[in-house]
Amino acid sequence: MLRKLGKKIDVEVIGVNPPCKRCEATWKNVEQAASTLKAEGVELEMKKLDVTSKDVVSRYGPILPPAVALNGTVKTMGRIPEAKEVETLLREAAK
Amino acid sequence: MVSMSELKRAVRTVLLIAFILFVFGALVYSRIMAYSLAPTMKQADFRGLPIWYIPIAYLIDYFSHGWICLLFAFVVAGLIYELIPKEVITKYMSGSRVTGYALALGMAPFLTVCSCTMVPLFAGILYGGAGIGPAITFLLMAPSSNILAILLTGDLLYWELAEVRIVVSVVVALTAGLIISKTPWGKAIEKELHINNPQVKSAVELAKPPLDDRLWAALKFGGYLAKQILPYFIAGLVAVAYVEAYLPEDIVGNYLTGIQGVLVASVLGGPLYTPTLVEIVIGRGLWSLGMSKGALLSWLMGQPYDVANALAVSRIARWKVVLTYMIIAWAGSVIFGILYGIFSGSL
Repeated sequence: MLRKLGKKIDVEVIGVNPPCKRCEATWKNVEQAASTLKAEGVELEMKKLDVTSKDVVSRYGPILPPAVALNGTVKTMGRIPEAKEVETLLREAAK
Repeated sequence: MVSMSELKRAVRTVLLIAFILFVFGALVYSRIMAYSLAPTMKQADFRGLPIWYIPIAYLIDYFSHGWICLLFAFVVAGLIYELIPKEVITKYMSGSRVTGYALALGMAPFLTVCSCTMVPLFAGILYGGAGIGPAITFLLMAPSSNILAILLTGDLLYWELAEVRIVVSVVVALTAGLIISKTPWGKAIEKELHINNPQVKSAVELAKPPLDDRLWAALKFGGYLAKQILPYFIAGLVAVAYVEAYLPEDIVGNYLTGIQGVLVASVLGGPLYTPTLVEIVIGRGLWSLGMSKGALLSWLMGQPYDVANALAVSRIARWKVVLTYMIIAWAGSVIFGILYGIFSGSL
């Protein structure tokens, strides 16, 4: 049986450099959610970005780390989203 | 029919709100009963205690009533940080200069209980459009008036000092921001780093989790802050117990009073600063041994030139800017220390 694949999701976890504990916790939760979706055949590309980089600010404006952006839209910032929540957000983005 | 998961959510929400109300209630109760939330032991109480027992007695004395204040402070810090509408703030941060300054002053106390947000926001304001002035104002305002620091200054020391600390922070932070935005090197940084980005507002669409998840996250964040801060805080209390027990009052009285006292306090307080509230604990110890109120204020205002943040900022805004704001912050702490000493009659 062929599984219908959604489009590829760009996942960006935006934190500080050197990484703070809250950013690391966010990364871990996102990774966990991502691996669940990967197992279902969804394609994901994960990236760690620095919140103070020009690239991030020019695309998203000033934001609070830790932040998670999916397909170029910031979905959470300034908090650690639970893995379950990230999973829901990822499923929405995969549609 | 209510589903099982909805019911579970409702119960969780009610329990969390009940806990938060209990914490607020405990603080109100302690206020009504008017008992002190600060340590109550005096030097004479330590006499005759064995050396190993001195810090234990002091900690027991403090935590037996201070737990209310600490619990309240961490819960409130977590709640505010978690529930504040962050997208509104970040949206206005990339606005004009005036809103930039206003936001930097008004929001810094609530956004910066966690040190990992300070430098990123500094960079965000700087790049995002409001410029170097508001960015510096934010950076200086943030640590000296965050909600945890103010609550503990009020409870461990006294509330007038907490108020003075906020006012002086505002004045110093604003002055530093305005001055640096006029310097050639400040302007150069601003020009170099400014990014025009009118389209970014559409790129932020935050998801809103249900209330119970947000409250739980808030309490967890409060717990995280406590874990970060309390070990240092307790170490500070232990040190203060020995200082209060053994340091003769006339040493502190001799060196930490008068204009000389303000100068010494402003220099000692700076490098000692870590974002852990220890400066409040040690300040209390020295104050109870005779440090003047003026010197106490300079001691607490020392934090804006803390070294770790300066290093992080220097990577973005260069050393010249960092040195300028450090000098202004230091001068501010000395000037206002002396002024406060004169007006409060304790220099």
